[in-house]
Formats: sequence, structure tokens, C-alpha cells
Amino acid sequence: MATWEELQEALADYTVSCNTNERLRKMQRDWTRVLHFVCSDTGVQFGMDVRAGEIVSTQAGHVGVPDIVVTTDSETFCDMFWGDLNPMPRYLRGEIQVRGSQEDIMRIDAISYVIWPDV
Amino acid sequence: MSTGVSTAGGPPLTPTGQPPALRRSIGAVTATATSAGLAFAAINFLGIVSIGTYAAGASSWLAILVGGGIALVVAGVFSELNSMWPTAAGVRLYVAGAFGVRFALIATFTYMSTVILVIAADAFLIGAAIQHMLGEPPVLAYLWILVLLALATVLNLRGVRLAGRVQSIVTYTVLASTVVVSIAALVHPGMAFTAPFALFGAGPLSGFQAIAFGLFLFAAFEWVTTTAEEARTPKVITRGLFIAPALIWLTATMFSLGLDHLVPKNAAHGSPYPQLLLGQAALGRLGEIWMLAVTVLTAINTFNGGFLVASRFVYAAARENNLPRPFARLNLRAVPWLSVLVLAAASAVVGALVFATGQWLLLVAVGAALEAAVFAIASAALLKLRRRDTPPRGFRLRAAPVLAGGGTVLFAGLAMASGLSDPQDPTRFSPVPALVVIALGVVSTAYVVWVVPRLQRAAAARRVAARATGEPTRRRPPRPPATEPTTTAPDPSGPAATG
Repeated sequence: MATWEELQEALADYTVSCNTNERLRKMQRDWTRVLHFVCSDTGVQFGMDVRAGEIVSTQAGHVGVPDIVVTTDSETFCDMFWGDLNPMPRYLRGEIQVRGSQEDIMRIDAISYVIWPDV
Repeated sequence: MSTGVSTAGGPPLTPTGQPPALRRSIGAVTATATSAGLAFAAINFLGIVSIGTYAAGASSWLAILVGGGIALVVAGVFSELNSMWPTAAGVRLYVAGAFGVRFALIATFTYMSTVILVIAADAFLIGAAIQHMLGEPPVLAYLWILVLLALATVLNLRGVRLAGRVQSIVTYTVLASTVVVSIAALVHPGMAFTAPFALFGAGPLSGFQAIAFGLFLFAAFEWVTTTAEEARTPKVITRGLFIAPALIWLTATMFSLGLDHLVPKNAAHGSPYPQLLLGQAALGRLGEIWMLAVTVLTAINTFNGGFLVASRFVYAAARENNLPRPFARLNLRAVPWLSVLVLAAASAVVGALVFATGQWLLLVAVGAALEAAVFAIASAALLKLRRRDTPPRGFRLRAAPVLAGGGTVLFAGLAMASGLSDPQDPTRFSPVPALVVIALGVVSTAYVVWVVPRLQRAAAARRVAARATGEPTRRRPPRPPATEPTTTAPDPSGPAATG
């Protein structure tokens, strides 16, 4: 199980990776969403605000009404945000659960794919 | 507004109770429209004509009624499966849970080929209808097919999506218009309804084949389960699954009665646009134009839903290394462009084959056989999963051993009945539809058995090569020894262990 501090560290790295990737920013320029995350093993929850493709904040707890809710274990979240894990196979095996539109689900995976295409 | 439960010294924990509501979610009206819209394509008009070929006299309504009853069993099966895994990847999960990952891949690859068939069929049927209305030479029908596919491709590549509300309006307009024109046909002086119960009057197994085509009218209504993740509540999908067949049944029955009343069977059978014939017979030129508009509207749903589902499936398979990696490439609108282009090209080729051979009713027979086979697999999966440790079910099919067990046998029988039907002559059998289905299955099996392992090995080799460059195998920093958990620690051996 990953601690909240480890998740914060992973989120910080993910934010930098997303916001500094020019191709991703261009691809996501029309993507403004509120994301909620739930750790199924620890019960920890956190959120992320994305505006025009830029991650403008990540925070503990859930703020606002979500467009997308992602639930999985804390280790998977950490590995995903560090770019060590391809989320699609986990999603297809039902190990990552997402509530949201099909388009948004694909966009979340696309973020990982664009930043870390070889994972 | 924080919705979490505060804990001292840490982030909020998940509160118990209902999951948070999404900003945008779909309700029962949209779910029903999605289900009915996916099922009610232009090919359904030909499906109704095929039923009329096998059901003697004016007994098509009976085949549609029985087909609708069977569709309700399918709705129950998919409702229970969806309640366990409410995800777009549902079919993969149900089948993998019951029969293993490899069979699930084979089944889904074969299943997805129906999308190409339906898109190609709709492009052909609409092309033929437009060409007929404009009084152009028949050869121009294929030009219209290419124009329609090109338009759908460009819209998909530009990331244009139908909003749920628009999709609902389109679907309900199509269904309501078809019913209204059919009623207009029924009040028009026409032929008497002869032999309304002669379901088995055209051949030894004709009634059974008519029912198989009756079930085909509902094909793809279960795809609404792919929207489960955006449903307001899990029950929304269940409602859609049960209400949509009723709407399709009503529409198809009215259209079938209208055809029996006003359009001679041989005229409907020999035409790729029977709906225009009915519109013309009922309301003259106005009815013909009205039904052309309805036909074009069905394409909006087919192209929007079909391209979206299939191209995203291909993207996901490529991300999993089950298809070549280029299929996962995205354009600047986050659309898997190669998947969309290949899908359009495959549809254009199938459309060309149909155009060249004139075998549009063969597509109906192949589609009916494939869909019945999918229903058989889903029913068998449900029975097997009843004996396995699975996620909790929000819906349980009553009398599942009888309904799902009997359904497995029945659907397999219906798959064979439509697979061995001769679309041109109800008194004869033809192996051609079955051979097409078998060929699709063999290609999918060969691909999964021989090509997928190579792709997986290539992906593993790429990871090894990346490590050989001296880069760290993981970006995530290792835990300090003091905080290393004693249990449930992740395998730090590399991406292969985590991906």
C-alpha cells in the first residue's frame, strides 16, 4: 500500500510531466475536467482539476462535482502517475474502475501513452 | 465543498454510501435511446424483409414477437453480466472470466467484425436509396457509399461526437417516423392479411429461420452496456436493456404489417430500399422522401456508435499489445486515426463487395448468425460465472439455469439456422453465411494464437532494450527501507510486473 506522501510525490511528478509535454497540451487543449480518485485499499481520496489540458491543481479530498471518478489500489495509482504502468491492461482486466464517458476514459489512458509511449 | 471524511494527519477517506454523482451522466431515457439506436440500423429494414421471405403469408409479426421475447432473455443475461462488471470492457471481462483470456480475445475480435459488416451494409443501403431517389445510374450508388464513409471518417478524425441528447432525438425520430408511415400504410386500402399464423409455411425450418432473423432485428441493443460507466445508476442500463427491445418490437411489427399490407413480397425482397417502397405506397413522393430521411438518420447512429466503439476497441487492443502499436497512435484530437482509417477502408471494401455481387441479404444472414452466436456465448458465460467467485451482482436473472441454459442451446440453434439459410430462396439451404462466420472465426483464432504472442514478445523485447540503455527500469523512487511494508509489497522487477 502506498502512503499519501508517496501519492503526493507521484502526483507532483505527473503534473510536471503533463504540463510540460507540448504535444499532450495541444491534444488536450479542449479538455477541462474535474477528476476524483479513490484508493480502494486505503480509502484515501484525492482530486485533480484539469483546465484546457493543464493540471491546475491536485488536492486531498474531493472538491466539486466530478466528471470522472477513478478507483484502484494506491500502488497502481502511484505506478500510473510515475509512468511505470500502462493503465489500459489493468482497466481491461477490471482492476482499474472508472466512472465517466468513454471518451474521457480514453483520454486518461492517452495521457500516459503520450508521455510514456514505451511503457 | 469537500465530500470526504476528515482524518487527523492525513487525507480524507472515502465516505460510505452511494458513489458521487457525475457532472454528466446518462439516465434511462438516453440509455434506452442508445440501445434502440444501436440496434435499429438501416439493415433492419432488410431484416424485416428477410423475415417475410421465411415466414409464409402475413406471419412476420409472429416471428418478430418471438424474436422480441427472446431478446428479453438476452436483456436479462446482459443485465446480470453488466451488474458484475459495469464497464466498456464488459464483454471481454465476462467471457474471459468464464472461458479464459484467449477465447475472450477471439470472441471479441470476431464480434467486432460485425461492426464493419453493419457499417458497410448501412453505407450500401443508404447509397442505394439516395441513388434511387435521385434517379441516377446504379453505378453511382457506390460513389454515394464512398462519400458517406468519407464523411463519417472525417467527422470521426475531427473528434466530432453526437451528444447524448441529440442521439436520443435522432433515435426517437427514426422510430416514431417509421411507426407513423407504417400506420399510414395500414389505413391505406391494400392487400388482406392472409395466413397470419403460417410461420412454418414456407419450408421445413422456415419458421425457425424467420425467428432467427427476428432476433437479428434486436442485434447490438446490448452494446448499451459499453456506456455503463457514465450511467447515473447501474439500474439505468438494465432499464435501457429491457425497454429498448419493446420499442424495436413495436416499430418492426408496424413496419412489417405495413409491408404485408401494401408492398408485394417479391417487390420488397428484390429491393435494397424496402422502406422507400413502403413510404411511396403509403404517402406517395412525400412518404418516399420521409423514409429516405429516416434512413439517413439511422446512419448517424450507426456511424457515430459503430466507428466509436470499434476504433476505441482497436486502440485498447493495441495498447495491450494485442494489435500492432501503430493502431494506438493518436492525432491531435486524441482520436486513434489509424484505427478509424482502417475501419473505414474495411467497410468500403465490404460495401464494394456487396455492391458488386448484389448479395445484401447475405449480410443480414451473416449478421444474424454472428449475433446469435454472441448471445449463446454470453448465456453460457453467465451460467459458468454463477459457479465462480465474482463481483457482487445488482441484478440476477430469474430461473437462470432454464433461461440462460436453454438460451445457450436456442441461440446456438438460431445461429445455425441463419447460417445455413439461403437468402434468395426460403425452401433451400446454403452454407455461405455459415462459411463467412466460420472464416471470420478462423481468422480471429489464427491471429490470437499466432500473431498476438509475437506482438507480446516484441513488446517485452522493447522493454528489455530500454533497460539495456542504462535507464532506470522504474521512474518511481524506491521506498526507504524503514518504510518498506512487510506485506502486499509490489514486485519491483520492472514494468512487465506492473503493466
